Amino acid sequence: MSKESDHDFERDLSLNELLHGIDKQRLETALHTLLNAPLAIFNQQGECLLGAPEQAKDAISQPLYGELEPIGRLTAAIPQDRLKAATALITLLLRANARYLMASDLHLQTQQADFEELQRRHTALEQSEQRYKALAENLELRVQQQVKTIESAQLKLYETEKLASVGRLASGIAHEINNPIGFIRSNLTTACSYLDALKKIGAMLPSCQDMSALKSAWQQADMDFIQQDMQDILAESIDGTERIAAIVKDLKGFSRIDETAREEADLNMLIRQVCHVATAEWRDKAELHLDLGVLPLLHCHPGELGQVFLSVLMNAVDATTVLGNIHLRTAFQDNQITIEVRDNGRGITETDMPHIFDPFFTTKEVGKGMGLGLSVSRNIVQAHGGNLTIKSRPTGTRVTISLPVKPPVTHVEI
Amino acid sequence: MANFDEENNRLTIKLVYYGPAQSGKTTNLMRLHDILRTDLKGEMMLMETANDRTLFFDLLPLGFKAPSGLLIKFKLYTVPGQVIHDSTRKAVLSRADGVVFVADSQRTQSTNNGEAFSNLEDNAARVGIDFDQLPLVVQFNKRDLPDILSEAEVLQRWQSAPWPVLFSSALAGGGVVETFHALLHQVYNHLDQEFDFQCLHHLSQAAFVDQACGRIDNQA
Ligand SMILES: Nc1nc2c(ncn2[C@@H]2O[C@H](COP(=O)(O)OP(=O)(O)OP(=O)(O)O)[C@@H](O)[C@H]2O)c(=O)[nH]1
Ligand SMILES: [Mg+2]
Repeated sequence: MSKESDHDFERDLSLNELLHGIDKQRLETALHTLLNAPLAIFNQQGECLLGAPEQAKDAISQPLYGELEPIGRLTAAIPQDRLKAATALITLLLRANARYLMASDLHLQTQQADFEELQRRHTALEQSEQRYKALAENLELRVQQQVKTIESAQLKLYETEKLASVGRLASGIAHEINNPIGFIRSNLTTACSYLDALKKIGAMLPSCQDMSALKSAWQQADMDFIQQDMQDILAESIDGTERIAAIVKDLKGFSRIDETAREEADLNMLIRQVCHVATAEWRDKAELHLDLGVLPLLHCHPGELGQVFLSVLMNAVDATTVLGNIHLRTAFQDNQITIEVRDNGRGITETDMPHIFDPFFTTKEVGKGMGLGLSVSRNIVQAHGGNLTIKSRPTGTRVTISLPVKPPVTHVEI
Repeated sequence: MANFDEENNRLTIKLVYYGPAQSGKTTNLMRLHDILRTDLKGEMMLMETANDRTLFFDLLPLGFKAPSGLLIKFKLYTVPGQVIHDSTRKAVLSRADGVVFVADSQRTQSTNNGEAFSNLEDNAARVGIDFDQLPLVVQFNKRDLPDILSEAEVLQRWQSAPWPVLFSSALAGGGVVETFHALLHQVYNHLDQEFDFQCLHHLSQAAFVDQACGRIDNQA
């Protein structure tokens, strides 16, 4: 309220203002009757505000006081004491009016101030509402962006880990395939040399009349042995190609990994395939004991679950110390399939335990770490409505995967 | 800030009695009106409800002429103490040249005193008054009542405050003029910086205070 306004309640009220709202005609008539003489009221500037200035011109006058000082005068040709009494009467009237004017001005002033304050607050409120609105919209956008970032990071994580497991398997699988290819090639080379020997004997046939010469050539070339060995190496080679075919067939379980559609799958078969594919990983390090119960088909992503089983199995292998024993058990009970992988390895340390589900967490050497991390594995299992839990002691670790045969309707898809 | 009216050679000084409801602000003004013998003393304007609670304000105008001919006019206001009248309190406080904070000495009123004082600080800030520079005296009123804070207690509580603390029984008039005196001393010092009373108007602090109060025969 620092600004001076027309309605500042503290302003000095002039006589003009103080007479405002008073019926001057009636006042004059009343005074005239009471005083029984013409009268006039002048302000400090000598301006007549009421009465008959001409008739009262030469009469005596009495000042009219405001708060402290004269603000005008009353003039009438009457005795002094009656003039004083009349002045007192008018002063009372003016004071009552002053009270009213001050109160109403103050009222206006506070109303105005309150209104301005209200408007100021309203504007401030509106501004902050706008800010919050903008922030909210912005926030939604940012959350969406974050979600996208996280989703793509998760996808990348999954891809990276998947590639890592494929990478680790590749050398083992290459070895598995190279071995039969090696002996098939050597068998075929041998077979070629046998064919040369056979060709020589064959070349003798048109010109040869002597059966004995032919016989001696047959014996010289040891054709009896060749015949037998040829049979053996061909059988062995056929066996080798079958081994390769089996490996390739198992690998198919992983080649389907990117198929998004779910299908009915036999988890036991999937587990067997995984064990085959990873044979090179565990063969020299641990003994694998399979105890596969009767399981119903599961509506699932076999490729993804295969990756999970593989990584759990490889973790078990990596944990083994001297004599590894890995037990892989499946069971079905209460509409739930349970897959349990138990090893007698070194276990997970207490300091690592809280972090095992962190993305990218690994205790393995750089370059050796592979397989899906436990965080991705658990996500996949959870996306199937299931659970992945780990119990570990210094004498071994048990990973339990449970999968409901009828997963809940709402579930997260990876 | 005091309002200097060059045309009428008049300086108007606004003094405000502030404080919690029912602490005796109006009573202070009424007693001053009775006791003071200032050259120019206007009538009291009371604006209160039927049960004596100030609705808008009370006003007591006082004045005297300095030797230079300058009319020094005081407008003494009270604010309504009731919490709901805050807008009015703010408007009345605006442009004050000095404040008497009238506290109620009764033990039960300590919280109200505290709240009213911080309300004074808040409103001073809102109307643009520099509270640190504002001439201010604190009056503990109703000393005649039982169950009041002792003077020692009051002084101890206000020990670290820069303002003079006075005691009064306004109903009987005790301490009312002393409080006014104390405020006038501060107001003189404060306004002297701007208006140079001593040199320009030949008005000393003592004369300023004496004239504002008039020759009082029997001080209460
Ligand atoms: N006993 C006693 N009563 C007092 C004293 N001063 C004021 N009162 C009484 O306290 C009551 C309130 O006094 P007011 O002067 O109207 O109080 P106020 O501060 O103007 O109150 P608001 O206008 O509501 O803010 C009245 O009944 C006064 O008679 C005092 O010194 N002693
Ligand atoms: Mg009052």
